[in-house]
Amino acid sequence: MSEPTPAQTGQPGETAVVDPSGARLHPLTPFVRGWGYFVVAAVALVNNEGLRQNLTFAGIGLAAVLVGGILLGALSWWFTKWQLTGDAIRVDSGFLFRRTRIIRFDRIQAIDVAQPFVARLFGMAELRMDVAGGGKSDGKLSYFTYDEAQRLRTTLLIRAKGEKAAEQQEQVQQAEAEAPPLLTVPTNRLLGATLLSSTVVGSVGALIWLIAGTMVLDFHVGLFAALPLLFGVVRPIWKQVVGNHGFTLSESSHGLRTKRGLFDVQRQTIPPGRVQGLLITEPLIWRLLGWSRVELDIAGVAGQKEDGEDDHEGAQLLPVGERSEVAYVLGRVLPGFDLARIQLHRAPERAKWLRPISWRFLTYGVDDQVMITTRGWVSRRTSIVLHHKTQSVRLEQGPIQRRLGLANVHVDTPLGPTDAIALHRDQYEAAALVQAQADRAREARRTVSASVAVQTQPNAPRPDGASSSAASPADDSSDR
Amino acid sequence: MDDLFAPSDVSWTPVSAKLAAVRRLNAAITAGVVAIAALLVLGLTLGWLYGVLAVVVIAAGLGWAWILIGRNQRSWKYAEREDELLVTHGIMFRELVVVPYGRMQFVDVTAGPLERAYGIATVELHTATPATDAKIPGLHPDEAGRLRDRLSALGQAQAWGL
Repeated sequence: MSEPTPAQTGQPGETAVVDPSGARLHPLTPFVRGWGYFVVAAVALVNNEGLRQNLTFAGIGLAAVLVGGILLGALSWWFTKWQLTGDAIRVDSGFLFRRTRIIRFDRIQAIDVAQPFVARLFGMAELRMDVAGGGKSDGKLSYFTYDEAQRLRTTLLIRAKGEKAAEQQEQVQQAEAEAPPLLTVPTNRLLGATLLSSTVVGSVGALIWLIAGTMVLDFHVGLFAALPLLFGVVRPIWKQVVGNHGFTLSESSHGLRTKRGLFDVQRQTIPPGRVQGLLITEPLIWRLLGWSRVELDIAGVAGQKEDGEDDHEGAQLLPVGERSEVAYVLGRVLPGFDLARIQLHRAPERAKWLRPISWRFLTYGVDDQVMITTRGWVSRRTSIVLHHKTQSVRLEQGPIQRRLGLANVHVDTPLGPTDAIALHRDQYEAAALVQAQADRAREARRTVSASVAVQTQPNAPRPDGASSSAASPADDSSDR
Repeated sequence: MDDLFAPSDVSWTPVSAKLAAVRRLNAAITAGVVAIAALLVLGLTLGWLYGVLAVVVIAAGLGWAWILIGRNQRSWKYAEREDELLVTHGIMFRELVVVPYGRMQFVDVTAGPLERAYGIATVELHTATPATDAKIPGLHPDEAGRLRDRLSALGQAQAWGL
């Protein structure tokens, strides 16, 4: 139980850990929290072949699981208490291993009221406190009724930032909520795009082939392969259509904001100075329709997946958009940038020994701001990296490439979807490109960062948009 | 050919030949253990002839690795440019890494027990991405310390915001 600084861990044997004062959370908490457990238990019981024949046994098992779950949940609820002290919020929890966590008000970066799907059904909400250096789950307090959570949030904000700041923030939030969106993605396009994406089309094709094969050839082993394929069909649809439902891009004082999700609304802020790179993906069928997806690398966002809630690497800028929309958002993120203006250089023809079909699509292009690489035949990926965000440049050559006189150039950016690799270039061109990229990175950095203060505090924007409450003064201001 | 992966406008520093010694020793130990295991397993199950055959194959592999390790060690070079650190290595798979000092997040100096016994250390420069592979093995501890101090000083002086 090693916790970051603001948290303190009580020892099991310590006396006076149980503070009689303090309030409990909402009594429905264990149910809202543990609904998944019950569902899983029920599904497991129903699916279990051995139990299916013996319904009474299954019933007893389910009842035992239910009672046990409720009991554990109730115990956990009973022993969890929170209270506000003079300068901190204190949460006591745990029933076998007692734990006391004290989060000082002045350490709280941002406070959010979030409503996961099930909680929303019951009109409940959880309080998420963003603590610098802490994981996402460190500052969670769930569940309250929605009103209570809002009240508590205001109280905490006032204590943490002073009354004025709290008020100001409310206003900013209100103003932002009212600002008209720059762009929304209609649900039917989202659905269509997902159905036509390479993964889904491929999986459906394979599934049909499999079913046909099973029927005709009586080859039943094939059915086992159907499961992952089915997963390949359902998962992207779920992720895209539900996760990106009502995708909205809007402008705020902290940069562009995205909002998406049907059940669990996710908000994310894209601070202008934090964009490290972009990735435009165009699956085969999308290209015919002129659709593409735009994703971003944002410093500090990718790689922060403590909760498994958000399995996106980086941020989505546009789940699916037409060419004009893509050009628009690109111009929004990189002022003065026009993808069409950059001249792309193709890889030499001898690259076809390594990439028989897709060598035609291996290109790179450079201007004074960014470098672009494209590749992929089925799914075309266009990576855009900013010169002044380049982490390192690498030149690589394998044995076959050496025989062909080819080499790869990697331009590395921090973790995220972008991977700018100029594949299979002529080796002399590649070597020159590496030098040129290093020079450009140096030049870009001199011209750009002269006006930009160095980020000293690594206050990353959170993937779940916890910074949307923006109680973080150090967060975005220094990037201007 | 070589100038592609080692541009001549900077002065390249080779790494210590002890790196090859450490790696050869490492390979020899691994090969020895595997050879004994193979000898016993094959000898007791299939017959001793197969066991001896396996040992011969492993010995041949070790001999090949012996040569490769030497070539590989000679291919490791690094250079300090005004703003960037350059590292190049590899014979079969060649690589040149250019890392601006300002991108440095932290520097690691590591030395395993074998490396310590031979008096060499590895310096690794970490940036915000794990893709950056700026690792220099086989440095004399003094040189490793100097490089570490120099890299961290330069990294601090030239730090680029993310």
